[in-house]
Amino acid sequence: MSGRLRAEARLLWVIAGLVVLFGVVAARDATLLQAGTYAAIYAVAAIGLSILLGNVAQISVGQAGFFGIGAYTLGFLMTAATWPAWIPVWLEFLLATLLGTLLAAALGLLLGFIALRFRGHYLAMATLAFGLIAVGLFRESKALGGASGLDNIPFAQFGSLSISGGAAFWYAWGMVAVVVFLTANMLRGRTGRAFEALRNDELAAEVLGVPTRRAKIVAFTFAGALAGLAGTFYSSYLGVVDPNAVGVSLSIDLLLMVVVGGAGGVAGAILGAMLIGISNIYGHNLENWRPVIYGVAVIAIVIAFPRGLAGIILRGRPRSLPLLPSAPDAARVAAGPATPAPNEGATAPRLAVDNVSKRFGGLIAVDGVSFALETGRLTSLIGPNGAGKTTLFNLICGVGRVSSGRVTIAGRDVTGWEPHQIAALGVGRSFQNARLFGDMTVLENVVAGAYRLERTNLASDLLALPASRRSGRRALDCARAVLERLDLTRLANTYARDLAFGDRRRVELARALAADPLLMLVDEPAAGLNASERARLREDLLAIRADGVTVLLIEHDMRLVMQISDRVMVLEFGRLIADGAAGAVRADARVVAAYLGTAH
Amino acid sequence: MLQQLLQLVLAGLTVGSGYALVALGIHIILRATRVINFAQGEFVILGGLLAYTAVSACHLSVLVALPLATAAGFAIGLLFERLVIRPAERSGELTATIATIGTVYVLLYGHALIWGSLPQPLPFFSGGDRDVVWHAGGVEIAAQQIWVVGLLAAALAALWFFFERTTYGKAIRAAADNPLGARLVGIDVDRARAISVAIAIALAAFGGTIIGPITLVGGAAGVAISIKGFVGAIVGGLDSPIGCTLGGLFVGVLEQLLEAPFSYGIADPVVYSLLLAMLLVRPQGLLGSRRAVRD
Repeated sequence: MSGRLRAEARLLWVIAGLVVLFGVVAARDATLLQAGTYAAIYAVAAIGLSILLGNVAQISVGQAGFFGIGAYTLGFLMTAATWPAWIPVWLEFLLATLLGTLLAAALGLLLGFIALRFRGHYLAMATLAFGLIAVGLFRESKALGGASGLDNIPFAQFGSLSISGGAAFWYAWGMVAVVVFLTANMLRGRTGRAFEALRNDELAAEVLGVPTRRAKIVAFTFAGALAGLAGTFYSSYLGVVDPNAVGVSLSIDLLLMVVVGGAGGVAGAILGAMLIGISNIYGHNLENWRPVIYGVAVIAIVIAFPRGLAGIILRGRPRSLPLLPSAPDAARVAAGPATPAPNEGATAPRLAVDNVSKRFGGLIAVDGVSFALETGRLTSLIGPNGAGKTTLFNLICGVGRVSSGRVTIAGRDVTGWEPHQIAALGVGRSFQNARLFGDMTVLENVVAGAYRLERTNLASDLLALPASRRSGRRALDCARAVLERLDLTRLANTYARDLAFGDRRRVELARALAADPLLMLVDEPAAGLNASERARLREDLLAIRADGVTVLLIEHDMRLVMQISDRVMVLEFGRLIADGAAGAVRADARVVAAYLGTAH
Repeated sequence: MLQQLLQLVLAGLTVGSGYALVALGIHIILRATRVINFAQGEFVILGGLLAYTAVSACHLSVLVALPLATAAGFAIGLLFERLVIRPAERSGELTATIATIGTVYVLLYGHALIWGSLPQPLPFFSGGDRDVVWHAGGVEIAAQQIWVVGLLAAALAALWFFFERTTYGKAIRAAADNPLGARLVGIDVDRARAISVAIAIALAAFGGTIIGPITLVGGAAGVAISIKGFVGAIVGGLDSPIGCTLGGLFVGVLEQLLEAPFSYGIADPVVYSLLLAMLLVRPQGLLGSRRAVRD
């Protein structure tokens, strides 16, 4: 988990020390070396699953399928395939490893697309089916040796060095180190922040500009690639691969490693793999009491320590940000958040809604609404409960699809766009029930808000290139500046779930502001606030407006609305019944009727 | 040709009865606790082995062993709920599901420790060592097949009566559908869940005993039985008891029809592809409700 990365880094150094110690001590014991090598192979696959399960909250009970694809690809290429003579043997091995990993990644991508359709138990079943189909196909394939699989797969060979025994141990743990490096970088980068936001609240993440569907697919692809990589080395190390070795029991073992070790991040997966690697020394023969003990231990551990072994060790550690710059950049903070590109929709209205309707079956929730917002003004949208106000917000930010009509933001027709695409244009949103990311601190929440301003990609994140670091620092600076402006800095390290109700509202505003929005949609911010909190909110909203942000506000507190609105629109039964300056709207007979009813 | 087909369908219905009972058990536990029990197939094996012990060590008739194994399954189910599901569920459904996977290890290898790793024979319900076989129009009908299908029907009728016609059965359903509401009207929700799990495990033990004479009992078959049960439940509809039953029977028949003309191994990939296709095309299953899928 991103927040514990520093404590986790220390734990990783301890693990690295233990591995080196083990490698030296066990150098002459073939059985122990083998167990240690297996632990490394499983760790690579388990890290991928740990990210999927712990960081993205997606389950896969089919990881052995990818492991098998890697194992069979390398096995096939190193035995049955004919390589051109000019390719040296060591390169053959590396190319086969690469190809096996890429094939597994491609299938991970496919499974990711399938997984978008499911949640919970159904996702577990779908991934289980995937693994079962893969192993069934291996068993049926003549080219892959049918039920007996492939054998006589040669060891990797680098010159005179054969990757077996002790060399295999060090090679495998070297592979783990590379994977840990890449994975930790990814989690520290924008990709990790996207995962964390998505795990906490998918909808809130999406309206902050996080492409949640793509993030899930990335996680499945990554997990598939790592399982495939583990598989390639497995078959080269063992020299054989058969369908039973990559069956459902391996999928379940990987799942157990991750849960027992602690899902999320890399340390738990490695601990789980080490534990199970050691318990596997004796094999899983029937009529053996060890697997029974193992089963009891699994049950006991998940009940007593639901966050796994890593959870015990890392418990109570202060969380730290995914990425902390070495020193706060004072000049930048003083300058405030970055300004939007000057020509971005300079003339077009920030928001234009053109004859928009939304039908749910026979019910018309929004009925032919049209308006355009003046840039830099605060417009309130009022109306009785059920008038369609929140539905209209949803249509504007892409959470719901319009039945007819058009929504234009800064001159661009965004009808039918995904919420994250609309958010990327600079549309911020707060929710009626303040959807903060509960497991994240206030600062982390607000950093996530700056997602749309980040400029980096998955490759830079994986390699921790300067672009990735710069992007993270920039998001952090923006977040700090916004917290400072709203006087929330004292809450920066508080978990969002521990916040008082009024603070939740304001932190949500801060999160939306961190994206430096052109347009803010604020949904009933005053609901449930006391008088002093309302006064505070009023200041905040006026400050936001003063920054040149166009605000559309849904609010039931008429005093607040009348005090701060440049313009008020009234919605009743999905139709706009009044639109104008606050005073004029208050005097409008239809508005009075809508709110108070008419005398007959 | 037609006789062969009928023969295979009959065999499929017999094996499928076992899958149907597993699917139904998975459904009952899922509905009561939101947990998918991966160990359901292992409890089938356990039931069969308990019946085997009653017959071979205690020299009881298999017809006496059947209610004994079922009752033992009920008691073991209560323990399973109390020791594994309830404590694990406090940390979430995933944790509880993982705990049921731990249970698979305990039971799978525990069976082998106690009864050995080789499957054991269970006497046929009529005729002991050799089953009574009738010939009807070129189709061989074994007495055990009649027993299995008949006892499945009897179990279903009993379940239906309990859940639909008795106050306590209705209370259990209420506790599963809306725990808070059930608590407010005075239902002991924890006990209702325990009873649900116990019924599911009793069904598994019952299934293991009636199928046992045909399949032998023991060995490592439990995982495969669990998975076929899942497939049946998904195909029929995870939230529909009738769907689960029909789905289990369907998987049994399909498996027989595929295995006969082709090789032994082809049935599995086809059955699992069916599972994935079903999930993609109609995830709620044939008889399930759409609402269940996005939970």
